[in-house]
Amino acid sequence: MDRNLKRRLEARLDAQIQGPIRQRHDQTEIRIKPGDAPDVLRTVHDSVDLRFEILADLAGVDTGAEMQVVYHLWSETSPDWLRIIVDGISRDDPRCPSATFLWTGAEWLEREAYDMFGIIFEGNRDLRRIFMPPDYTSFPLRKDFLLPDDAARSPGEGVRHIERPYGPAVVADDPAAGVRRAPAS
Amino acid sequence: MPTRPARPTTRAAGARPARPVEPRPSEQQRSEDDPRIMLDREISADLYEPIPPYPTRTEREGEFYTRGDGEMFINIGPHHPATHGVLRLVLKLSGEQIVDVDPVLGYLHRGVEKICENSDYYHVIDQVDPLEYVSSLFQEWAAVLSFEKLMDVEVPRRAEYIRVLSGELLRIASHTLYIGFLALDLGGLTPILYSFIERDEIVEMLAALTGARMLFNYFRIGGVNGDLNHEFMSRLGDWMSRAAKQTEADAALLNENEIFVRRTRGVGVLDRATALRFGVTGGNLRAAGVPFDIRRAHPYSIYPELDFNIPTRDEGDSLARYLIRVDEVRESIKIIDQCLHNMPDGPVMAKLPRLLRPRPGRAWGACEGPRGMLGVYTISDGSDQPFRFRIHDPSFMNLETVPTLLPGNLLADTMTIVASLDPVLGGIDK
Repeated sequence: MDRNLKRRLEARLDAQIQGPIRQRHDQTEIRIKPGDAPDVLRTVHDSVDLRFEILADLAGVDTGAEMQVVYHLWSETSPDWLRIIVDGISRDDPRCPSATFLWTGAEWLEREAYDMFGIIFEGNRDLRRIFMPPDYTSFPLRKDFLLPDDAARSPGEGVRHIERPYGPAVVADDPAAGVRRAPAS
Repeated sequence: MPTRPARPTTRAAGARPARPVEPRPSEQQRSEDDPRIMLDREISADLYEPIPPYPTRTEREGEFYTRGDGEMFINIGPHHPATHGVLRLVLKLSGEQIVDVDPVLGYLHRGVEKICENSDYYHVIDQVDPLEYVSSLFQEWAAVLSFEKLMDVEVPRRAEYIRVLSGELLRIASHTLYIGFLALDLGGLTPILYSFIERDEIVEMLAALTGARMLFNYFRIGGVNGDLNHEFMSRLGDWMSRAAKQTEADAALLNENEIFVRRTRGVGVLDRATALRFGVTGGNLRAAGVPFDIRRAHPYSIYPELDFNIPTRDEGDSLARYLIRVDEVRESIKIIDQCLHNMPDGPVMAKLPRLLRPRPGRAWGACEGPRGMLGVYTISDGSDQPFRFRIHDPSFMNLETVPTLLPGNLLADTMTIVASLDPVLGGIDK
């Protein structure tokens, strides 16, 4: 754990950080709102005492109640991984600003998060499906996408089609049915 | 037998026809790519149709599929021996020069993340094995690193040594295969034969250790599946006695080959700033001059105690990416030597319950594979299955640079550049 990094983050980003800065093992975690994402990413990337230049990962997460976008960053100024969780993204209309203005490589990672979760990254100019076929109509890693053979949790409904091709998303009848939820933390 | 339209009658050899034969419109049509060419209707149905049959989805897709003056599309893959798996590249060409590239992924997509979210923690390890099938131990390593942080498991020192030993052996196997395939894609058949001799010896000794040649399923949460055995040690001793000399000889086969050097030097230059912006890791980033290696940048396991260097180069071209791999093989041999000399005694597994239910939490584990940083982000909700299991694959990020590196090069350099980035499609497509 890098206590020094915690102090530097507090000094730079006190207004944007939601809740406490959590530290465990070699990871420092902050939570921010979707609207603050471009500012925060630019600050941690450019500030001389942070310089998180390497984007290690960008992951979408569906907690069952909301969507998250999780960035993992690495910097030579700190022995810790920095995890930035953008939370509070609505499940019905998930939108988050794109990180492609800093890391061009985020383009494909955001395409993957869109493909798997349906999160729209505003500012990404190539946001189309990357793994699933172009006429696919669902988002497989969402928690309301149940595997047909998942006998343990599925109420037997299988795949739920929540997106029509080339049209507006269709809201599922009962979006909460059978959804596994993350613990509140 | 399908009936074919009647051909124009044969003429005497060498004689030119008085005037071009006008095609009958019912039987022939103009080619989409080159209007001067007339195609039989029957044939054109099987030809590659470049424009996707659906409306363009994004600005970039529309821009790519808009053909400029004299440009044409060429499709490579998904089944092509030089694409290292089932990668499909749609190239926009002007003459023989590449104007733009659109890689199409997903032909090998199996939904491993979803499968892992529906398997228990022990089961995840063999689900992630076939991702990077050339070096599957590293994908297991990233997963167990993440799980061990999630569950606060301490790994016995002997298990850490065995992990590093087997991992570095597999890194050598992967790099020699890379070197062989790079030469093969440039038309040189010999190096791949020598590469497979090296790789075969290594996978045979790993088979003696783990029981499998490719998908090892060897690492466990809190240790490894089995201790070192006699057959593994005797094969390893045999191989180590001549490994250094053999790898030098294999490298000399290409380093001193003028055709190879001329076809790779200055081709596909990835400079430092671009590499950082693209999130490239591994040998491709080190060839661009950034000494970023997780083994030193964010040490895990016993790497802080070992003495080895991180080779870097400044050129960033295909030749530099190849030479970095050659240097890394030398460093790996040094690491294996140190592991064998310092191997401690003791158990190889931590004591863990049969059913793992970690406390709710989040953990990120990353290790340095042969292609770059492999990462796993796990979220636990307190049940026996990961709530979210995110796999970060380095080949995915490395391949993303292809649309930047290719334009301006000749069509024949596609193979050089893609092969020098070392993609493994099993990991890219997940």
